[in-house]
Amino acid sequence: MNEFFAAAAADIERCRNHNTRSPWYTLAVIWHEVGLQAVLVYRFGRMLRSGQRNVGVWPLLPFGWLLYALAAVIMRRCYGIRLALSAEIGKGFWIVHFGGIEVVNCRIGQRCTVGQQTKVGRENDPDGPQIGDAVLIGVHAQIMGPARVGSSVTIAPGARVTLNVPENSLVVGDPARVVFRGYRNAAILPATPQQPRAA
Amino acid sequence: MWSALSADARLYSSLRWPRQKGTLNNALIWVRSRGLLVLAFQRVHHCYLGYRLKEGWTARTIGLRLLLAFGRWPVVMFSKCDVAASTEIGDGVYLSDRGQLILGPQRIGSGTIIHDRVTIGIRANEIDPPVIGRNVWIGPDCVIYGNITIGDGATVLPGTVVSMNVRPGAVVGGNPPTVLYAKFDNARLRRTLANAIDRRSLEWV
Repeated sequence: MNEFFAAAAADIERCRNHNTRSPWYTLAVIWHEVGLQAVLVYRFGRMLRSGQRNVGVWPLLPFGWLLYALAAVIMRRCYGIRLALSAEIGKGFWIVHFGGIEVVNCRIGQRCTVGQQTKVGRENDPDGPQIGDAVLIGVHAQIMGPARVGSSVTIAPGARVTLNVPENSLVVGDPARVVFRGYRNAAILPATPQQPRAA
Repeated sequence: MWSALSADARLYSSLRWPRQKGTLNNALIWVRSRGLLVLAFQRVHHCYLGYRLKEGWTARTIGLRLLLAFGRWPVVMFSKCDVAASTEIGDGVYLSDRGQLILGPQRIGSGTIIHDRVTIGIRANEIDPPVIGRNVWIGPDCVIYGNITIGDGATVLPGTVVSMNVRPGAVVGGNPPTVLYAKFDNARLRRTLANAIDRRSLEWV
């Protein structure tokens, strides 16, 4: 439960771009950001899955799974975002735009970013990619097979990654190759707005 | 706007039903084509932006605003397309019926054909979107980004990632992209909806 709220708060934090603490603004962010809705549905599903260990919440689980199934189908059919529960996604996951996103059978670190038409991992492939923290996965990128992608890697639009990638590098092309090491993707990601000081 | 929409309807029906011609098909295509729905919605939205600048809040702009506010998400969900309202789209443009388009160029010239799962947008940390010329053929799974110009009559083969200028009439393909032919007449490509193209011969597979 606590994990769920901590992860959800981190996800919402990625989508905020105004320096305000108003709860109405948070609601507006959830209302407008389709990717955030999909991530929250995924977090809810993961919470249910971890809740199966706890006998005390078993009576609530059927309702929870029904709700989750409905929401996940809506996310998949209406927005084309599929975050399978077999994927393990860290806090602060940001889906920039909807459409054709599939994240299956993989492990993704914290503060990662994906664009539209991104495919991470494959169905029927339990040994999926493992991705580090703060990785920027560009639009139309595909990460397949047992690839190990290091932290703060930048994957360019349309790249198809199947091999290991060292950290802090820029990866381009199909098949992907490292064109630059020591690339800092923090410069092209929007900075998190600073929290206002308490008056 | 009305002339542009009728040109779109004629183009869509001629692509969908190449053997048949007639006003009946031009009317029928409005209920059969998702791409046309998205395109019409974008044209109305673009028109609304012009009215808003010119006349402020009047009965017409308030009505349009309500239509757009309630109509946008159903259209987006139905087609999974998102086309920026600020884009100037020329007459007779084809956006794929299979959808999954995320388009935000500055301009799309008339006669351009855009297939499914195409992204056109800005580069990270920049503000200038690309410009798509007239009679361009853009295949499926393409990404076009950055402050670039795709020249008139250019051909972007399926699965290409373009971030540099493309000269008029050139053929680009691959990822990273290469210019395969400097001059190519893509009129035959633009006449049908077949999109599986052989890279070498530029013939249908």
